[in-house]
Amino acid sequence: MAGARPKTFLAGAAIVWRHQRILWLLYFMNLLLATVGTRGAVARSAEILNHSLAADRMVHGFSLGAYMELALHPSMPFSGSRPMMLYSTILFTLFMLFATGGVLMEFYEDRRPTAGNFFQACGEYFWRFLRLMIWFAIALIPVGILIRLAGGLYRRVDRQSISSFTAVHIVEVAAIIIVLVIMCLRLWFDMAQVIAVAEGEKNMRRALKSSAILLRHNFGSLFWLYLRISLLGWVGFCLGLRMWMEHLQPEAIGRAFLVSQAMIVFWLATRLWQRASEALWYREHLPELLVPAPLFPPSPVEQAPSELQPV
Amino acid sequence: MHHTRSAILIVIAAISLTARSAIALPPPQAKPKLGAKQDTLSIRVAAYKIEAKLDPANHTITATETLTYHNLTGQPQQTFPFHLYLNAFRPKSTWVAEDQRDHASHEWKPEQYGSITVDRIAVAGMDDLTSKIQFVHPDDDNAEDRTVMQVSLPKPVPPGADVQFVMTFTDKLPQVVARTGYLRDFFMVGQWFPKVGVWWKGAWNCHQFHASTEFFADFGTFDVQITLPQNEIVGAAGELISSVNNPDGTKTLVFHSEDVHDFSWAASPSFQVIEDSWTGSAGPVKIHLLMSPGNMPSAPRYLQAQKGALNLFDDWIGPYPYGRITIVDPPHGGFNAGGMEYPTLFTADTTWYMPKSVLLPENVVVHEFGHQYWYGMVATNEFEEAWLDEGINTYMEAKIMDALYGKNTSVIRSRFATLGELEDQRAGIMVPGYLGSPDTDPITRLGWRFYDDSAYGAVTYSKTSLVLRTLEKVIGEDTLRQALHTYFLRYRFTHPTSEDFLRTIEEVSGKDLRWYFNQAVYGTNILDYEILDAQSEPLTPNEAKNAGSHSPPDIYRTTVAVHRKGDFIFPVDIEIKFDDGKSLIEHWDGRDRWIRYQYDRPAQLVSAEIDPEHRARLELNLYNNSYRVQEDKRAIHKLSNIWTFIGEWFAQLLAWLT
Repeated sequence: MAGARPKTFLAGAAIVWRHQRILWLLYFMNLLLATVGTRGAVARSAEILNHSLAADRMVHGFSLGAYMELALHPSMPFSGSRPMMLYSTILFTLFMLFATGGVLMEFYEDRRPTAGNFFQACGEYFWRFLRLMIWFAIALIPVGILIRLAGGLYRRVDRQSISSFTAVHIVEVAAIIIVLVIMCLRLWFDMAQVIAVAEGEKNMRRALKSSAILLRHNFGSLFWLYLRISLLGWVGFCLGLRMWMEHLQPEAIGRAFLVSQAMIVFWLATRLWQRASEALWYREHLPELLVPAPLFPPSPVEQAPSELQPV
Repeated sequence: MHHTRSAILIVIAAISLTARSAIALPPPQAKPKLGAKQDTLSIRVAAYKIEAKLDPANHTITATETLTYHNLTGQPQQTFPFHLYLNAFRPKSTWVAEDQRDHASHEWKPEQYGSITVDRIAVAGMDDLTSKIQFVHPDDDNAEDRTVMQVSLPKPVPPGADVQFVMTFTDKLPQVVARTGYLRDFFMVGQWFPKVGVWWKGAWNCHQFHASTEFFADFGTFDVQITLPQNEIVGAAGELISSVNNPDGTKTLVFHSEDVHDFSWAASPSFQVIEDSWTGSAGPVKIHLLMSPGNMPSAPRYLQAQKGALNLFDDWIGPYPYGRITIVDPPHGGFNAGGMEYPTLFTADTTWYMPKSVLLPENVVVHEFGHQYWYGMVATNEFEEAWLDEGINTYMEAKIMDALYGKNTSVIRSRFATLGELEDQRAGIMVPGYLGSPDTDPITRLGWRFYDDSAYGAVTYSKTSLVLRTLEKVIGEDTLRQALHTYFLRYRFTHPTSEDFLRTIEEVSGKDLRWYFNQAVYGTNILDYEILDAQSEPLTPNEAKNAGSHSPPDIYRTTVAVHRKGDFIFPVDIEIKFDDGKSLIEHWDGRDRWIRYQYDRPAQLVSAEIDPEHRARLELNLYNNSYRVQEDKRAIHKLSNIWTFIGEWFAQLLAWLT
């Protein structure tokens, strides 16, 4: 079994650092689309707030009452903002889907491609990764069923158990299991994407199968690699939130913006870190994975791009 | 007829309470002494003796009730109506139908149904009347509703005489739906026995149980004997007289309560009991707190709020005359049993994960304890005039929470965001807010005739509170408090009406307030003023000359126009600030639709604001009440920042799927 070498964890971060233009590109798109999504509500609210003394209740502290009164204002400043937010979110998701091919190629090769090559890779893998996303959605169906089962179990135990908290503990355990299962799924699909890029694999089912075999034999190290970065992401996010909510003065709006955006950049960076680490792990373990016997026998019409064998 | 009866009751009360002469129509400044608890505080109309047995496994109670009714109606009575509240939870009841109308997503499960069956009713000295039971529906035509039972006696009960009903009944408790029922090993037993209606305004008042309404009953005594397993820990609305263990593994507890109009109890083997006490102007009060184990971190919060409320009610409104108060903390998932008041007992509400910055436990305790005054002692008709208990109590809740926890932080007080009670009552974050239903219904509408459940909540609770807050601007905060104090002393242990309350305020304030009550209480008028125009322009040389200035460029003509957008006429102050640091306060009676103020001054306008002290809490739109000449974009930048951050983060979460 190939372990995750200690340097993979840090080297993954180094790759992100070296290729930080990717981070800034994605962040810029994230910020731009979110700004566009909120623009309507901001403009309508500005008309109400900018000349009103009542707006001060949201400056010196943040009055939830004042905020709700704004939402209930007769001119309905928030109306139509939800669809716009949704559209911008979907657009960003599509952009991420598009960019993943280029990002993985750059991370895997660890060299800076030309813009043309980068976007060529983006386009090349877009439809493959779209298919993978559909597979991922299908893979989430059992998770949905698991969530429903856990909900049903919670309700049944909540009614029948003498202890108030048996049901609560069931929810806690179920939530942890479900999160871990979803993370495993994501890792599986992440590795499938890496294999697709590294091996030029066009058949996504085959990429998934290769990824599954890879994970079966290297699950512990890969999952630990993935989990550590996820935990770091959450810790950073929570620390940022704490700083924003509890340590910044209510009137420090500029500093609050910087902290909030730093959180977003860090969150995005940890996701890229996972991608880079996975790509690096695959690249480093490739020699060990190469064995004489092909994993998939070549078909008459399509040659298997690689000969992988779990170690 | 009602007024005559009220007068009679007050005279009887005055006679029976010779030790406390102040109780009968006290002058506004008087405070009574209610230290002697052996006195009769109320006109005792009904005496209930109930022997009940709880079957925890089947969630049933079998009981025998002996009700002695003292006919003080002034006329012979032959027909008696009884509330059978638990039948509200039968399928097709009016309660269930109304709940489904307003909460279509609420799916009724079989275990949520409950009922009460009167197996036998007899009257001492007369025949068995079981066959004469009729179910009546005074509020609607729902023949399936069985929440009001009526029995006609073979012969009338003369005025001043007693009649004794003996009933056996069986309760099937629902899994807690509204206020009452069971959850796991927890039992909250409220509105569980046949309860006679109230002779009021010359007729029987015994409404069907509705999804939004509560209760109405006469004062009296309760002697209640409860038999249940020995491991059960019980909290009840009465003094524990005795506790005897039975050979069959059960125990029998006997409780006595007087000068109350209801009796409820709770039981669970899991309760953790906390005893505390407080001493006020009427003597010591035992605080009996029954905590669900998982909620223990909230116990000190409950007690702090309880003592704070006792202090302020004692100081502002009047003494709490009972020697005990029991607080029941429902277990996790028992939200539907939480936040409900009964005389000398109420249910609180919290969760095991309640953050310190969210003052829900405190809020519920202060509110439900307040009902000991507004409903418990001042026993208004909650079916017909719910605002008199819920509304006044919500006003008091806000006053007390503000005093204890800060004006703008009495609901949520995190460093990042805050919420005060009054803000909440307007905007409706934790409670149905006034702005959600500002003009659908007048406050005085019958409880079950509101547009829907949300409108009932918004108007009865929040709007009433805001009506009283706004009234403070007209008569002063201290005067209104004095009026409430007088109203309490005058009408405790009686059934006052809306007019009794409003007349007391007029009497104490010495003002004719009909113009206000007609708009705010009986009407649905909207109070909405706006700054229509606010600007400063330099005067032309001729204008400046006419204005007496020798240096025309320094003189500005400032115009401020105020518009009454709504149909609620209310006097307002307008504060106009200039850039030389000076400000003016104008007073407008609001009778016309608009008013324009004009000033020629060597200074430019900075801002104009209607109601600068923010006393007109009924104002519909606070944002158009002021205008500042220089834009201030800090609020919108802050909001924009938050919204953008949320948008970015959600986008990244969704993108994680790729």
